[in-house]
Amino acid sequence: MLLNKLFQKASLTVCCTAILVVGSISSCSNDSSEDNDLTRPTISLDYNNGFPQSCAQLQRGETYTFKAMVSDNDELASYSLDIHNNFDHHTHDDQGVQCDLDAVKSAVNPFIYMENFTIESGLSSYEIEITLTIPEAIDTGDYHCAYSVTDITGWQSRTSVDIKIIE
Amino acid sequence: MYDSNILISFMKYLLLTIVFTVVSQLTHAQNAILISGKIIDETNQTPVENATIIYKNSYAVSNSNGTFELRIQPKDSVQLHISHISFKTKHITVNTNATISNLTIKLTPKNNALSAVEISVNGKNNQQIAPLISTNVNEAFLQENRENSLMQTLSKIPGVSTITIGSGQSKPVIRGLGFNRVSVVENGIKHEAQQWGADHGLEIDQYGIENINIIKGPASLLYGSDAIAGVVAITPPNAPLPHTFKGEVNLLGESNNNLLGISSGIQFRNENWYYRGRVTFRDYADYKVPTDRVQYDSYIFELDNNNLRNTAGTEANAAFSFGYIGDRFKTETFLTNVNAKNGFFANAHGLEVRTSTIDYDASNRDVDLPYHTVNHFKILNNTSFYLKKHTIHTETGFQNNLREEHSEPVPHGYMPKPTHSTERIFNKNTYSFNIRDVYKPNKNHKIVAGINTEYQNNNIGGWGYLIPAYTRFSAGAFGYYLFKLTEKIQLQAGLRYDYGYYNTQAYSDWFPSTVSNNNGTTSYIYQQRATGENVSYNNISGSLGVSYQGKNTTYKLHLGKSFRMPLANELASDGVNYHMYRYERGNLDLSPEESYQIDIEATYKKNKLEIGISPFVNYFNNFIYLNPTPNYYETLQIYEYTQSKVLRYGGEVFAGYEISNAWSANASLEYVQSIQKSGPKEGFTLPFSPPLSSFFSLAFKAPKEIWLFNNVQITADLRVTAKQTEIVPPEETTPGYELVNLSILGNLKLFNSKKQTQLRVKVNNLFNTKYFNHTSFYRLIDVPEPGRNISASVTIPM
Repeated sequence: MLLNKLFQKASLTVCCTAILVVGSISSCSNDSSEDNDLTRPTISLDYNNGFPQSCAQLQRGETYTFKAMVSDNDELASYSLDIHNNFDHHTHDDQGVQCDLDAVKSAVNPFIYMENFTIESGLSSYEIEITLTIPEAIDTGDYHCAYSVTDITGWQSRTSVDIKIIE
Repeated sequence: MYDSNILISFMKYLLLTIVFTVVSQLTHAQNAILISGKIIDETNQTPVENATIIYKNSYAVSNSNGTFELRIQPKDSVQLHISHISFKTKHITVNTNATISNLTIKLTPKNNALSAVEISVNGKNNQQIAPLISTNVNEAFLQENRENSLMQTLSKIPGVSTITIGSGQSKPVIRGLGFNRVSVVENGIKHEAQQWGADHGLEIDQYGIENINIIKGPASLLYGSDAIAGVVAITPPNAPLPHTFKGEVNLLGESNNNLLGISSGIQFRNENWYYRGRVTFRDYADYKVPTDRVQYDSYIFELDNNNLRNTAGTEANAAFSFGYIGDRFKTETFLTNVNAKNGFFANAHGLEVRTSTIDYDASNRDVDLPYHTVNHFKILNNTSFYLKKHTIHTETGFQNNLREEHSEPVPHGYMPKPTHSTERIFNKNTYSFNIRDVYKPNKNHKIVAGINTEYQNNNIGGWGYLIPAYTRFSAGAFGYYLFKLTEKIQLQAGLRYDYGYYNTQAYSDWFPSTVSNNNGTTSYIYQQRATGENVSYNNISGSLGVSYQGKNTTYKLHLGKSFRMPLANELASDGVNYHMYRYERGNLDLSPEESYQIDIEATYKKNKLEIGISPFVNYFNNFIYLNPTPNYYETLQIYEYTQSKVLRYGGEVFAGYEISNAWSANASLEYVQSIQKSGPKEGFTLPFSPPLSSFFSLAFKAPKEIWLFNNVQITADLRVTAKQTEIVPPEETTPGYELVNLSILGNLKLFNSKKQTQLRVKVNNLFNTKYFNHTSFYRLIDVPEPGRNISASVTIPM
């Protein structure tokens, strides 16, 4: 019985200590989590130099400079530009504009542009500038132009715009 | 290969020892004696069905006449433990010098709704160790709380939650960890499917289950790899009594997703042979959410009549088993097949956000693309030999999991438009064999030693690549010792060694990609996503525990080390995850995850009050984490599998009080905090961290019959969940919510007073609250949880 009593006392002490330890760990570590970067970067085409704007028409063989503003509360990391066809009308645009789409068609030689870029370290705002020439031999029609950006923590934001490539 | 040689010789040695023990014991084992009797309700002298009578590892369940038979090893006197959901637990001591028949045991009714979740101290599961902290769930709890899927039903238990995928699928989460960190074990064999996948749900029929043992902590000692955060162990149903027949039909209807379900099971036994069978069929439409529109990644989708389009599904399951009980031998073979087809919310699944020519809103019962089909077939055998001081258990199993994901074929990047909808096929075969010997030299000592082996063969198909084909072999040998220091104090210690071997197959894209070379030229190459690799692991895990059971109090302290072998996708992923729109990259250098955990449990029970607390602290040396990097691959964000140190702590608090004979109240609180202590996300939490949550319930049990009904019970539940602001990319913070559920249960006494029809009406989300579940798969795409659901179920005994 003495053993039982002793054990009961011991387990009570262990329990109380555990609760106290857990409590104190939680109270101090909650502070550290407030330093975490919980903010996504932003990306915008909605300014004068932003390119392309919704429903823009781009000509084959021409050279354009694609521009977008990106910013972050902390530090920007990378961005990418993806241009792919929307011949099947899969809807991408989040600019709030409805463009007139051509009839649905199959791709023969669609234009694919996929490139990634890094932003030099230490910047919290940056203007993306990508100069590219639309090739001559590609299918004309509806395309999507999708930008994305990450910050140093790994948060990502994306935006996309409907464009048309014409002869 | 040096390790495997040692292991093989060790296994040979152990096997020889076991075989020798069996043979030597069989030659001079004594016959067990038989205790039979009847359990009755002391208030009205009526028979009590489904009472459990336990003596050590033997148990019996009373049938509809209240009678039972229990076979035990002879001994001067034994203490029987009789429990039932609706009655107070009773202990009686009987003298067993000879066979006992006509023993009458009277039980006193209780009025405590949630006491169905009993913390078991010395449960009926042979694998259970007393100081291990676990919760036993019985058939009555499952029937009273049945939700759309098994894990949703179990999520009422503090510390247990679920990751849901639509309305019909879910998978377990214990104290914030899920996927391959929780093992689901059915009849002793680990359920093996594609449990790493975000949109995979557990393929187990929740009807016909009688008992579940949930371990909220490390249990690799008993269950090997993956039992790192906990185990959901579905134990085999009790064998029916000789010359009995039992059957039931359960009908279910639900308003939210227009579900119709039927499940029917029978079981019967001759003298020694017994048979069980069950079929279940469920068909449901799209479920309704309390919102008109869903906004995801800056796209807006209007919903038709609150229907979350294309979330309908069907499920058809069949199970058959046959068993034989001899004097010192028991065997049962189970054949089960679970087949399901589930649609996925069409606007936020697959390659990217798309509109489609499919008219999803034409019908809310059809399943269009994207959807998955899954078929899980199992054949399992459990055999036990009861010898004088040894009991040998074997569990043998084969299971095949065939899962297909179908989505609209679309071109992406350099991949042209595929010619068919089969995006992925996983075909996995798992062979398992376990053997263990339970040796009890006397009543104070118990030694268990055993071996678990498993071989997996996983094949892949379809146009979307995520994980390579692989084969995996793993084996573990364990032993533990349980020692009764005094009548009240038990000590337990165990050790285990595991060896695992992976062979992953090479995989290359079926289409060429454009690659710019350094010299300015361009090549078109079929990119290799996985190389053929052989990797092997070994690990030592263990457990140390002590328990104290006083008159009113129980204390348990448990220290465990568990592990998990890395998965094929963690090792060898190298491709686009089309469903999550990201690029996932594995790492062949990952080491097995190791976790250390201290668990404490203290409960106090006196008169009408019961309180309990179960805190834990857990440390992962090398938690495998899919880290979103700041980098891109072909314009998709790269996620890399990395390992980091993780500290987790939290626990549950529980209180129950019987206010009067009719009224009872219960409350519980659960909390988990996780912090990454190293690596690229140091200071951040882990994905899918459950928020602080509390649960209150008030139950009224009618003391008298009401019209044609007796045992009428009305329960009101309130769940209050705090907001979750602890997130990690790419998660969103989730606001808190309050949710009210109502349920009414009753037995209809129409023709037969012994076999009463059970009725249940349940209202989930009474106020049609729009809320988000932080651990739901659809949370990432901003889809709220289901709206109000009224369900009605009838269980008719045959």
